[in-house]
Amino acid sequence: MKKKILFSVFISVFILAGMSLSSGAEKSLLLKDGKVITISGDTIEGGDILIKGRKIAKLGKNLPAGPDTEVIDLKGQWVMPGIIDSHSHIAIEGGVNEMGDLMTPQVDIKDVIYPEDINIFYALTGGVTTIHTMHGSANPIGGRGIVLKLRWGKSAEEMIFKGAPLTIKWALGENPKQTNFFLPGQSRYPKTRMGVEASLRYEFEKAKDYLSKWEDYRQKLKAKKGEPPLPPRKDYRTEVVADTLKGKYWVRCHAYQSEEMLSIMHLCKEYGIKLVCFEHGLEGYRITNELVKYSAAVSTFSDFWSYKWEAYNTMPHAVALMAQRGVLVAINSDDAERMRRLFVDAAKAVRFGGLSELEALKTITINPAIIMGIEKQTGTIEPGKDADLAVFNRHPLDPYTVCQMTLIDGEVYFDRAKHLEERKKAEEERKKKEEEAKKPKEKK
Amino acid sequence: MTKRIHTLGISILMTLILFTYQPLLNSEQDLHSVWAIKDCRIVPLSNPPIEKGVVVLRDGLIEAVGAKEPIPADAEILDGSKLTVYPGLIDALSQSLLKFPEEKFDPSKVYTGEFTDKDRGITPELLAFDHIHLGKTDLEKHHRCGITAAQVMPQRGILTGQSSVLSLSDSDKNKALVLKDGALGIGFSPGVFMTYPNSLMGVIAYIRQEFADASYFKLKMDRWKKARKGISRPTYCPKKEILSDYATGKKPVIFLCRNQHDIRRALSLASELKLNFLICDLGNEAFKVIPELKKTQARVLCTLTFKAPATSIYAQQGKEARQKAEEELYPKNPAKLAEAGIPFAFSSLDNDDPKSYMEAVQKAIEHGLPREKALEALTIQAASLLGLEQALGTIEPGKMANLALVEGDILTKEAKVRYVFADGQKFELKEVKVKEGEKPTVNVSGKWELSIEGAGGLKLTVEFIQEQASLSGTMTSPFGVFDFTGGTVVGNEIFFEMTLSVGGQEIDLYFSAAVEGDNMEGTVVQGTEGSGEFTGKRLPT
Repeated sequence: MKKKILFSVFISVFILAGMSLSSGAEKSLLLKDGKVITISGDTIEGGDILIKGRKIAKLGKNLPAGPDTEVIDLKGQWVMPGIIDSHSHIAIEGGVNEMGDLMTPQVDIKDVIYPEDINIFYALTGGVTTIHTMHGSANPIGGRGIVLKLRWGKSAEEMIFKGAPLTIKWALGENPKQTNFFLPGQSRYPKTRMGVEASLRYEFEKAKDYLSKWEDYRQKLKAKKGEPPLPPRKDYRTEVVADTLKGKYWVRCHAYQSEEMLSIMHLCKEYGIKLVCFEHGLEGYRITNELVKYSAAVSTFSDFWSYKWEAYNTMPHAVALMAQRGVLVAINSDDAERMRRLFVDAAKAVRFGGLSELEALKTITINPAIIMGIEKQTGTIEPGKDADLAVFNRHPLDPYTVCQMTLIDGEVYFDRAKHLEERKKAEEERKKKEEEAKKPKEKK
Repeated sequence: MTKRIHTLGISILMTLILFTYQPLLNSEQDLHSVWAIKDCRIVPLSNPPIEKGVVVLRDGLIEAVGAKEPIPADAEILDGSKLTVYPGLIDALSQSLLKFPEEKFDPSKVYTGEFTDKDRGITPELLAFDHIHLGKTDLEKHHRCGITAAQVMPQRGILTGQSSVLSLSDSDKNKALVLKDGALGIGFSPGVFMTYPNSLMGVIAYIRQEFADASYFKLKMDRWKKARKGISRPTYCPKKEILSDYATGKKPVIFLCRNQHDIRRALSLASELKLNFLICDLGNEAFKVIPELKKTQARVLCTLTFKAPATSIYAQQGKEARQKAEEELYPKNPAKLAEAGIPFAFSSLDNDDPKSYMEAVQKAIEHGLPREKALEALTIQAASLLGLEQALGTIEPGKMANLALVEGDILTKEAKVRYVFADGQKFELKEVKVKEGEKPTVNVSGKWELSIEGAGGLKLTVEFIQEQASLSGTMTSPFGVFDFTGGTVVGNEIFFEMTLSVGGQEIDLYFSAAVEGDNMEGTVVQGTEGSGEFTGKRLPT
């Protein structure tokens, strides 16, 4: 009996050791014979990408496959870095706007990530691998956004892009002005553009006050005189603004008009706030020098405008105009449907503005990565970066191109051929069931 | 005959005037406070089953349990030779025994924007106890399933209110009450108005701030209580005072989670705010977060509707995928919790009535939940999750005398609950026996208006619930609303009796009537006081 136990212990230890060995050795995957658009360098025809674990290990031609290497033959198809959408509203549960108050920096998209949103899968079918998802634009300071990798099927926690800088979204112009305007009793401050800016300034002053209260408390605590002092009230709302002043959050500011963009840049300079990017920024092409000088990026549409009066003054050339003059530009979706065809929107910048193919592709890869502060991990195909890739049957800017496969961290999250096969099977099964259901009825 | 009718009318009027009259005997319990159930099979749960034994009850408590316990001389004996005695079952979270006053929403608020905390769903001061509706019908419905205790809690809004635990022994809620201000409900449902919070992210941020404020309030209050000198007196706030007990972990909160993501949110909020918490799994999706539940040592109140939430991937994939998941996956939720060793009890929220609740338990057993785990979830686990393991959940001396006496296995469809004891009080559950040829030929289910002739044109509205030959219902009269159970339908005739308590006096009324289509004609007898005739008309639905 004793022997038996010993033996089984030995076996299980052996199995455990074997398991840890196999999981310790990173799995490797070789993508063979693709036209590799690296973005960071030249496009490699007949190129191979060797992936070890989550990362790209090697780029080149005729890379050898080890005995444990899984091989996917791309048969000459195009590979580009996984597409990055820097302005999205998918994967959010329970409302995109908190309209109950003027300022709501205390709300956090991280609390309401919705990993079962089918739009995540749809985005994968368009080659998107990383998104910055955030609330809407009902409030001058609306809350905090989150960067996600579209690891479809995983939990909210597992989707979060680890190491991505924290963001906070502001909004200027018509949306914060007009939220609640339709019911007479509920119209609230601010009602004008000056009011929007003043409301921000007021919030910053309050935050400064908050910081000094806590500093006072710390000093008193240090002094250790008499009774321990009462700490100030923890105010989540003001604390987030205070943290913004301290540089903890990267500011993403929804704005359309050049004047308000200029004035908000002044305001941020005054308070030392890290304003990273204007969202939409349709009139950004009018102030390219100022944007470059401040190093503010623009995350925008390729040809979507005129949907309200503050969105009139732009044109499909704007992306190219800004990019050619040195502004960091990203083309974003803002919408679950457009998200699936961001590569088409990038192609429009070539068609209308005469932007180079490389620069156009940058607007949906490395440029948004820089805006989101994740350019060291993703956005190009380079050894050492995350293996986030999108495979297309034609050049991604070709109007007839179709995304075939999407990989995140070296794992295939979407495979069109496999998916179509599964759908076919499901359809056949359904028909079979239907026919079976009909049969006994006929007998009766 | 007319003379008698007058006496009935007068006597009802008299009772309205004579408030001073008090009945001599409150209840049967005063006569029967000691019981011995003998020769029964006992499933005490605290110990292995006893095949033939005795349970002695005295003054509302269990006095003795055992195979050879002597029967006290003063005990009334109940022959349990065909019965199995279980601890009374517990519904760990229910809403069926609560009735809130109907409120009309003032539409002008939409224009003024002047919403109250109630409109926003922020009602931590709302006590379930204040809104308990425990009619005789409610008691009987639960007793028929062997349920003798329940936790009730308001469900609406964000901070929904405080729960109460009831022993289902009396329709007087003061007697039934076990625990008055128990757990606080926390819902993740944002308000619909343009007032903060009106989004899910807002709700979570709101809860964070509110609990932080409550703790801060307590800190300031404690400082002020400790030293009255040199401390600025804090502003009193009733809401914060209530919340502070929950914010500091002194009392438990119950998170009402609509899906697996809500459960994750609840777990992370609970660990961030260091709360004493229970998860109510409204979405039947706890099985999707088992590692997280284990890690946080969470306790789950499992609802039993097995409907896939709208957020689930199955619901988004279409009707077929959803049906498949609801047939195969969701009913396994309790089985998977049991397998993982996560403490759980059952909740009847979203079940229509105790009967469907128990049927759902049977469904969970069919889908792999071990029978003994199901029984534990309904008794010992439920008691422990309610913090009442000292008083409920097993058959042990000193615990409350809440028992279910059953023919057969209580967790099967064939089980017949014959008696229940609640707080030592016996309730017999009579089966309506129908002889051949006397089967009901009418169905009176629905609303009827009865007019009592002569009694000042007295009109009563009765809502009948007929299940085969048994009849129960609710009567709305000028003197109040009254429930009745135990009525019968034989052929085309109906019989039912009810007790009206008017101005502190109880009036027994016996009704009998013959039914023809949508009309009935019959007699009502008021004890020995007199009788009258009445006609009834079915009201259009």
